[in-house]
Amino acid sequence: MTHVDALGKRCPLPIIMIAKAIRTSQSGEVLTLSSDDPATWPDLQAWGRLTGKVVKRLEATRFEVTA
Amino acid sequence: MEVYRWNSHFAPGGGSVRSMGSVTGNFTSESALHPAARTVFLDAIDKGWADPAKLHSHSRELDHLLNESKALFAKHLGVDPSALSFLGEPSLGHFIAISGLTLAQPAPRHFFPSTSRQEVLEVVGSHPGSTALAVDLDGSYSIPVGAQDDLLVLHTVNGETGAISPDTSDFNGRIFVDATASPLQPLPANWSVALWDSRSWNGPSGLGIIAIRDAGGWVNPLPHLDHRVVPGGFNPALAIASAVALDAFVKDFAANQAATRRFNEMIRRFVTDEIGEVDIASPETARPEFLSFSFLYVDALQLVDMMNRRGFAIDSGSACTSANLEPSHVLAAMGRLTHGNVRIRLHLNVVESEIHSLLAALKACVEELRETR
Repeated sequence: MTHVDALGKRCPLPIIMIAKAIRTSQSGEVLTLSSDDPATWPDLQAWGRLTGKVVKRLEATRFEVTA
Repeated sequence: MEVYRWNSHFAPGGGSVRSMGSVTGNFTSESALHPAARTVFLDAIDKGWADPAKLHSHSRELDHLLNESKALFAKHLGVDPSALSFLGEPSLGHFIAISGLTLAQPAPRHFFPSTSRQEVLEVVGSHPGSTALAVDLDGSYSIPVGAQDDLLVLHTVNGETGAISPDTSDFNGRIFVDATASPLQPLPANWSVALWDSRSWNGPSGLGIIAIRDAGGWVNPLPHLDHRVVPGGFNPALAIASAVALDAFVKDFAANQAATRRFNEMIRRFVTDEIGEVDIASPETARPEFLSFSFLYVDALQLVDMMNRRGFAIDSGSACTSANLEPSHVLAAMGRLTHGNVRIRLHLNVVESEIHSLLAALKACVEELRETR
C-alpha cells in the first residue's frame, strides 16, 4: 500500500503530494496520507469532490484515499 | 495609483473619462476614501472640533451637520434616524450589539451560521446553548423557528463570498444583523439590532453605525456615564464624511450594477474555462461585487505575491496568508477548497480592460505555480 508522509508540510503541499501519488497508482488502489496541517482535512474533502475520489479520515492526522 | 484612477474616473463632466492603459490593481476588500467624501472630510475636520452636546453656536452647527448625516444614513440603510448611533470602534460593535440584547433579556438559545465573522464566533461561539448552523456548498443554511427570547445572529452578506442570508421571516426571536460587509443588502423585516462598517462603502475607517430598533430591548453592556446608548468617542468628521461616501457609493452602484454583474460572470467563466481546476465558493446568487474562488494545487501566498508584483492587489482566505496559519473557517464550513484561494472585490470604478488584465495575470501566475509543483 502506498503511503504519503506529509507531516510538517503546509497547504497546499499535502494535497499536491497525494495527487502526485494517485497519478502513478492503479484505479481502485487505496493510499494513505499522514498530515498534521489543519487545512488538510477540509481540502482533502474538497479535492475528493472536485476529482471524484473517495476520501476518509482514519485518525486526526491520517487519511485514506481511493485512486 | 488610486489617486490617478479616481482623478480620471471622477473627472469633471460626469466621470465618463476612464483610465486607459493604467492597471491599478486594487481588487482588495478595502479601498481608498471616495473622493467626494475626502473633500467633505477635510472640511469637517475644520468644522467638527466642537462638542455637539454643548450649546455654543459651533456645537449647534456640528450637531446640525451630524443630524443631516444621520438622515442620509437612515435613508440608505433603511432605518429610522432615531435608531442610529455612531461607534468609534466598529469591531467592538458585534460585542456591544449582542451583549446589549442578552443583557436586556437573556437568550436561552443563540443561533448563528458557521460562516459568521470571527468577531461573532468570539462572542456567541462559546455561549452555553449556542448552535452553529451548518451551511451547504453555497453557504446557505436553514433558520430554526426559535422562541421569543432566542437570538439569531446573522450577516446580510458574507464578507468573504458575498453569499446573501436566507429569509428570516419565520424566526420568532430577536435578530442581530451583522451588515458590516455591505450596505446594499436590505435588513430583514424582523431585525432587532444592526451593525454597519463605514469601510464597506469606501467611507473612512474607524466608524461603525449601530441601529437599535427598540431602545427598551437593549442595554449598554459597557461602563457608561449617561443615557447615550453606545460609548461616545467617535470622530464627528468621520461620520459626516462617511454619510457622503455612502450616498456616493449607493449612486455609483446603481449606475454600475449591470457592469459589475457582467464582470463577475466574465471572471467566473474565465477561471473555469481558461484556467481550470478551480472551486468557485461564491454562489451565483451572491452579491456581484464579491467573488471567492480557489485554485487546486496552488499556494495562495505565492499567488498573492506574484499578482502584487504584476500590479494587482487581491485578498486570500488560505491558511498560508492568514496571521494564525488557519484556513478560512468560512471556506472550510462550506466544504470549499481552502488552499489557492483568491478573493476579488469588484469596486464600482473598475473598468473592463482592468478585468482582462487581471485575468491574464491570474492565468499566467496559476500556470507558473502549477508547473513548479
